[in-house]
Amino acid sequence: MNAIAENHKASNLKTLMVLLVILACMVGLVAVSVPLYRLFCQVTGYGGTTQVAEEATGVVLARNMTVRFNSDVNNELPWHFKPVQRSVNVKVGEEALIFYKAMNNSNETITGTATFNVTPFKAAQYFNKIDCFCFTEQTLVPGEEVDMPVSFYIDPEIAKDKRLEEVKEITLSYTFFRAEED
Amino acid sequence: MSDQAHANPTGWRRWVLSTNHKDIGTMYLIFAIFAGIVGGAFSGLMRGELMEPGIAYLTMFTNGDVDAAKHFFNVLTTGHGLIMVFFMVMPALIGGFGNWFVPIMIGAPDMAFPRMNNISFWLLPAAILLLVLSTMIEGSTYPGVGTGWTVYAPLATSGHTGPAVDLAIFSLHLAGASSIMGAINFICTIFNMRAPGMTLHKMPLFVWSVLVTVFLLLLSLPVLAGAITMLLTDRNFGTHFFDAAGGGDPILYQHLFWFFGHPEVYILILPGFGLVSHIVSTFSRKPIFGYLGMAYAMVAIGVVGFIVWAHHMYTVGMDVDTKAYFTAATMVIAVPTGIKIFSWLATMWGGSITFETPMLFALGMIFLFTLGGVTGVVLANGGVDTAMHDTYYVVAHFHYTMSMGALFSIFAGWYYWIGKMSGKPYPQFISKLHFWLTFIGVNVIFFPQHFLGLAGMPRRIPDYPDAYSLWNYVSTVGYMITGVGTLVFLLGLFLTLRSKERVGDNQWGESATTLEWTLSSPPPFHQFNELPKIK
Repeated sequence: MNAIAENHKASNLKTLMVLLVILACMVGLVAVSVPLYRLFCQVTGYGGTTQVAEEATGVVLARNMTVRFNSDVNNELPWHFKPVQRSVNVKVGEEALIFYKAMNNSNETITGTATFNVTPFKAAQYFNKIDCFCFTEQTLVPGEEVDMPVSFYIDPEIAKDKRLEEVKEITLSYTFFRAEED
Repeated sequence: MSDQAHANPTGWRRWVLSTNHKDIGTMYLIFAIFAGIVGGAFSGLMRGELMEPGIAYLTMFTNGDVDAAKHFFNVLTTGHGLIMVFFMVMPALIGGFGNWFVPIMIGAPDMAFPRMNNISFWLLPAAILLLVLSTMIEGSTYPGVGTGWTVYAPLATSGHTGPAVDLAIFSLHLAGASSIMGAINFICTIFNMRAPGMTLHKMPLFVWSVLVTVFLLLLSLPVLAGAITMLLTDRNFGTHFFDAAGGGDPILYQHLFWFFGHPEVYILILPGFGLVSHIVSTFSRKPIFGYLGMAYAMVAIGVVGFIVWAHHMYTVGMDVDTKAYFTAATMVIAVPTGIKIFSWLATMWGGSITFETPMLFALGMIFLFTLGGVTGVVLANGGVDTAMHDTYYVVAHFHYTMSMGALFSIFAGWYYWIGKMSGKPYPQFISKLHFWLTFIGVNVIFFPQHFLGLAGMPRRIPDYPDAYSLWNYVSTVGYMITGVGTLVFLLGLFLTLRSKERVGDNQWGESATTLEWTLSSPPPFHQFNELPKIK
């Protein structure tokens, strides 16, 4: 190494260390991108991500809300999956229990999982699910039919949000997929 | 510590084990030329197929199988994009010109980590080999990766069950590692090894442009590496990052890819901006207008470039307020870019302008990049983009900024510096012929593609409805003109290297004021063993 490079060795190594830390930070950021993404959606209700709650707050308002139910099934899953009721009318804050019906139409035992969201997207922050079948895998033997419950309520805080003044109808939508066999 | 402790290396060791920034720069340039020919050949096959409606001749490569031929078209599209971005433009501007001239311009004897510089270069032939191999092994039903350079899930996961995508991912890992190490090298060199008196605000603009570029590389490439690694584990190790059925989301891939992808396009153009500043100043015989504005405009472009990525994703079902943000932020980038364009014009105003070949390419770059930039402002609008996304309007936009912006700046730098690098002058008439054929050719290829996009022709398709036939035909004619231009360039390269004439230290006169013009042509193997005095 010539004299000039020798002189710079210490400062180059110092800069190198700083850059490696920056590199590690960027790698770290992408490594936790999945939890970060999930957290962002959960906190902001972005894309119609609903909230999870233990139980209703007890406060019930006079405001009405129609909650409609939608269902979809991925091509790979030979199940019949529909909401039992098209829609319900609830008061904001009132706890409601509704059902979806799923039936395995094939001749093999299949496990399915569901994803879900709510429209309009801005309403999702106030849509609290107390219990639903979405977080667990459902296994159905051939021909088996089950009723899947969902209990939810609409957070009374919705009344304080000006953007949601005109929302009278919220749609909850589930899509069932075939779960990967491990 | 003696500088002459050993003789300069010779033979194969000089190149395979090189720790000399000029030799490594030369290897990068040769590599970029080869890759450019391959990438250009791919686009030639594509334009040939698109010349007329129907599947024309790609079936010749697939034993008559039409579906295989359509997949082959997608493989060509993917290869063309990856090769031009990672193996042509980046090696030419950053690896080639950056390595050659950044140390010289700051008065340094070499880069901070000469051996790591060597690794950065030699990773590239390995990477391109992996990519070429991927075209020959099973991708989906047919060989090769047919996903486009963006490699989106789920086409790249469940849609390509063969190992070709895995090889392409490894190719990108190697290319990414090469660039990250190069970035570290440039940052250390520029921050620590400037000659006394060369403050950051006295650095030539080309050095500024490389500095901003390599910071973008350092910050964005790890995210690409993460995204493609997640693709690899989804494909091979049972993860479900991008699979809705497993609780994942294909849109996550798009976010991660474009978080890299948008800074990447600034990486591709910023060094060219630096180069154009030098060339316009030299051939206007005037110092560049607004040096600080130019330097910090590049910094601004780099910084804002990190917060606009979702303008590539307007059609995924995004919230309207989110679209509004990205629309506004994307438009903001036009401001510092416009400052640069106007500053180049202001540099020329009142100058004594001559039109040597480097200046022709620089002026062409400014004009054509501006055209590409304005179509970019059009596309920045989330509303307009709903109609234009994935059409040929987008293809026209990025080829104006890249096949004209970046490529013209590469050619401008080539003619500006080939005398310095080789000691030999380029042939005048051939170089001008190369310019005009290329200028006319690329415009004939890409201008009509605006019409095709506005008329609704999607991109990445091997065949199209008859209504699109006229402009596709014209576009292919443009390719032929450009092809001839490329042959003329290669002829000029051959004639330059064979020339018996020699070039002096400063080919361009008083207005070429940066340090490379104080050295011989070519410079000695080692320079600045004694540091230069900076005024």
